[in-house]
Amino acid sequence: MVDIELKRERIVIRYKDKKWDWILEPRYWRNAILWTIVLLIFPAVCYFVSPGLINTMINANVYAAIAIPLGLMTIGTGRMNFGPNFFIGVGGYTAALLSIAYGWGPITTLPFAIFTSVVSALVFSPLVIIARGLYYVLLTLLLPLVFLEVTFIYSDTFKGDTGLFGIVPLVDTGNAKINFLIVAYLSLAIMIVYLLAINKVFKSRYGLIMATINDDEDVAHGIGVNINKVKIISFVVAAGMIGIMGWFYAHYFSSFAGITYLPLTFMLKILLVMMIGGRAQIFGCAVGGYFVAFLETFLIRYLGPTQPIIFPVILMILLFTLPEGLFGIWRKRRYREYLPTLHVRR
Amino acid sequence: MKDILKVKNLSKNFGGIVAVRDLSFEIKEGETLGFIGPNGAGKSTVVNILSGLIPADKGEVELDGVNITHMKPYQRARLGLARTYQIPRPFPELTALASVTVSALCGKKRKNQSFEDAAVEATHYLEFVGLFSKRNILARDLTFYELRMLELARALATTPKILFIDEVMAGLNPGEANRAVKMIAKAKEQFGLTIFWIEHVMAVLVEAADRIVAIHYGSKLAEGTPDEVVNNDAVIEAYLGRGWKEYA
Repeated sequence: MVDIELKRERIVIRYKDKKWDWILEPRYWRNAILWTIVLLIFPAVCYFVSPGLINTMINANVYAAIAIPLGLMTIGTGRMNFGPNFFIGVGGYTAALLSIAYGWGPITTLPFAIFTSVVSALVFSPLVIIARGLYYVLLTLLLPLVFLEVTFIYSDTFKGDTGLFGIVPLVDTGNAKINFLIVAYLSLAIMIVYLLAINKVFKSRYGLIMATINDDEDVAHGIGVNINKVKIISFVVAAGMIGIMGWFYAHYFSSFAGITYLPLTFMLKILLVMMIGGRAQIFGCAVGGYFVAFLETFLIRYLGPTQPIIFPVILMILLFTLPEGLFGIWRKRRYREYLPTLHVRR
Repeated sequence: MKDILKVKNLSKNFGGIVAVRDLSFEIKEGETLGFIGPNGAGKSTVVNILSGLIPADKGEVELDGVNITHMKPYQRARLGLARTYQIPRPFPELTALASVTVSALCGKKRKNQSFEDAAVEATHYLEFVGLFSKRNILARDLTFYELRMLELARALATTPKILFIDEVMAGLNPGEANRAVKMIAKAKEQFGLTIFWIEHVMAVLVEAADRIVAIHYGSKLAEGTPDEVVNNDAVIEAYLGRGWKEYA
């Protein structure tokens, strides 16, 4: 049986011959609590001041919620995946097709969206063992593009050119503004749960093991790390988490079109969120998600037609001038302990 | 004393090049076996095959009675086989403590060991090799000698039965080399290790090894006590060339 013991500054959990220490450090909770409160208040304030910003916040949360598991995938496999949007497509199309065919609501389609994302990740998981470096990048880059072609070829099913319509909405209270508000809190909850869960993983023994794979997987193998197991688990779990965001998109917009999420433009935005936020540091992904979503909205609102040119230019400049990302500016000054970061291979 | 490692008829070809040819030897528990040979003799290939990094074409390897020929490196590590590298391969983005903690976590299975317990255990190994004060420094910022010691601590933390040491003298100055040799002897004594020591510098092995196996072009050339091997004509010829007697 599981034996849980509360000591002065830690919870000790024992199961069979395994032991986990959960160290409680309330002195480090202040910033997390403050930021969570700010994010919780923000949609409520926007509801009265500028309801349009709630949509931007939902976008920011979703970008972050895709980039955070992508950080887990990148560090856990020691490889840069350039096709995370493939799993958005899988999760989204599963939810959309089931909802349209059987009239199922979001709660019913969720397990199926997770299941298909996880199964598709398992099918492609040998890639993390056999392919390295540029080959892995090219293969993962191809996955969403091939899927996009499939949606066009089997247009009767996927409606590749127009997208699927008539999906049961995520929330339906009858009031559009309240719907937006509830969806904003839901997206925020998903993002915070992802952030906390993956942060806990990174700070545990598994995070350290992933970091060794990221640094030198042959050496890690030689000191007793079952690298294939760790790589496949990180790949599959992160894919399931990204698949949930596909489900979210499908039910949020009540429509799902592969042409929106599977091309390179969407994927680049997610990668930029990750890199500008802070090179696969998960807190950086949250910062990057908000930065990119709000910058995009600001530029659309004030620059109009020049936005598609200015937006990538600003992001490129930031990518070169802030090699550690936006979160890196803070982290450099307040370095406390090791957190796994992306190690770029040549 | 029983044999802890048995190598039978090991062979490995890289395309048309024969790297290891029908090599057989045994290592007894608690001994230090030196493994020598001139450049390109196949020493590192043998270590890579024994540690599982590259598969053997033919032959068998037994570790403490268990056939490990087809086992993966992590399975061999958990059975008690650890190694260091000729050119240190640290985890550059990890601190010294984190590097050794991973070994304590993933090496031989310990019961009731949490992450924090493993970190405490890792400090013991860091203290042993003299790196305790550098525990929070990233491995990429350590000096060459410290990296060698970090590799030793990382290997010891897996609690091995047998330790492969691959050319520990390479890149060290005489003072550091001397300290490294003493450290290895101390580790052998304190942790009850068997050592398989691959070395280019003959003088070191003559002092440290109980027995020496010499190879050339992947085949065994000589085996015996350090004195026997050092005075073996075939070994001298392999190192110095055929006409060495004319200049002796």
